Amino acid sequence: MFGWGRKLTRRRPAAVEPARADGEVIARALSPLPAYCDVMTAHLKDIVDYTEESAMTTLGRMEEVDALAGTMAGDVASLARAVDMTQRQLGEMSESNSRLVLGLIRYFAQRDHRMAELVEEVRGLNRHVAAIDAVSRATNILALNAKIEATRAGEAGKGFSVVADEVRELAEESSKAAQDIGSSIRELTNRLHLAITDDSSVEADMAAEFDLGSVMTGQETAVTRRLLSVVETQRRLGEMFDEVLTDTVNAADQVSRTSSALTHSTTEAVGEIQSQDISRQMIEHVGTAVEEVQRQVQDVVGYTRGETAAEDLLAGVQHVDELRDRHVMARQRASHAAATGTAVAQTALPAIELF
Amino acid sequence: MKTIMLVDDSATMLMSIKSVLVKAGYGVETASHGKEALTKITGGLRPDLIISDVNMPQMDGITFTREVRKTAGMRFTPILMLTTESEAGKRAEGKAAGATGWLVKPVQSDQLLGVIKQVVPGA
Repeated sequence: MFGWGRKLTRRRPAAVEPARADGEVIARALSPLPAYCDVMTAHLKDIVDYTEESAMTTLGRMEEVDALAGTMAGDVASLARAVDMTQRQLGEMSESNSRLVLGLIRYFAQRDHRMAELVEEVRGLNRHVAAIDAVSRATNILALNAKIEATRAGEAGKGFSVVADEVRELAEESSKAAQDIGSSIRELTNRLHLAITDDSSVEADMAAEFDLGSVMTGQETAVTRRLLSVVETQRRLGEMFDEVLTDTVNAADQVSRTSSALTHSTTEAVGEIQSQDISRQMIEHVGTAVEEVQRQVQDVVGYTRGETAAEDLLAGVQHVDELRDRHVMARQRASHAAATGTAVAQTALPAIELF
Repeated sequence: MKTIMLVDDSATMLMSIKSVLVKAGYGVETASHGKEALTKITGGLRPDLIISDVNMPQMDGITFTREVRKTAGMRFTPILMLTTESEAGKRAEGKAAGATGWLVKPVQSDQLLGVIKQVVPGA
């Protein structure tokens, strides 16, 4: 495409002509070549400068990409730490709430059980009330009889004395029944008061292991059913949060891995910029060869014009083997051998060698 | 932090290798040719490692290595030649001058960092 390696072909003359030695013609023909070489050398230098500028710009961009990857990795690490902390805090809060609700359920369950016991005890009071009622009615009858006997006896009071004894006994029974009622009522009042005000078991239950089965030993009530619903809703919310946070952590891990891979790639790419230096040296060798051609052309022009001695001209002739000797890279030597059709000595030295 | 001196007449090489070394956690000093590097060494700079090109203006890498070895306190400092030179004779010259190793450009970043860990104690 660009003519590299293209063999230049010359038109052959129609008939062989005798050799000519017109120095001035040769000098005029060759004299533009030094300027031609100057331009080629300048172009080669342009190529070196351009690739160097390009390489430096690429390096700068890669360092920017690398810095961005580093920033991204730092941000992702911060996010992962924050998410992890949030996940742990949410877990602790969820567990605390569960314990609280568990305590409330246990509290209400026990309170309802106590209320049921109180209802039974209140029913037991009816027996005492019935006894009082019977005693009262008997007392009334006795009092009536005493009144009748007292009226009938007049001065004789023997019968009245018997009746008076019966009334006294009944009064004692009535008094005992009243005391029993009073005692029961006091106990009932105390227990009702305790049932309403004592919530110490809630605190104790919050410290207990979360075991819903052990709490619900009795019948469910309206309150405990609603509290159980709260527990279930919170459990589901906790699972949803946990899934979201776990996904976020996984995504952050993935970004972190990608960032590391990006950093590694940019480091390798930066290393590849060495190719510009290698190309530069190859081009500089070509430039040196062009300068040699230029010098030899000038020598030939000088000779044809009588300004350079024949010995000096021949002494300055560069053989292609001398060009080969200046090659420093194995690749240069290989391409030289391919172009000249000569064999190249294959030296299998390692690219990295520690002495 | 270990300090590495880079010596190369190519600005591209200096920048690219420096970038790799800095990212790997090394301190880096640079010089554009052997003479400039030697001035820094004689001025008191004591790097833990020198990575030098061979073909440079003013003072080539092999002469520079020879001079460094004459400097007090630099006799055993590792010197790696990082060059396009692959010719055996040149490599032998480098070894005779006191170079620690020979690396032919281009060298991959991982390989370069691996060699540095081999030749610099505690790197």
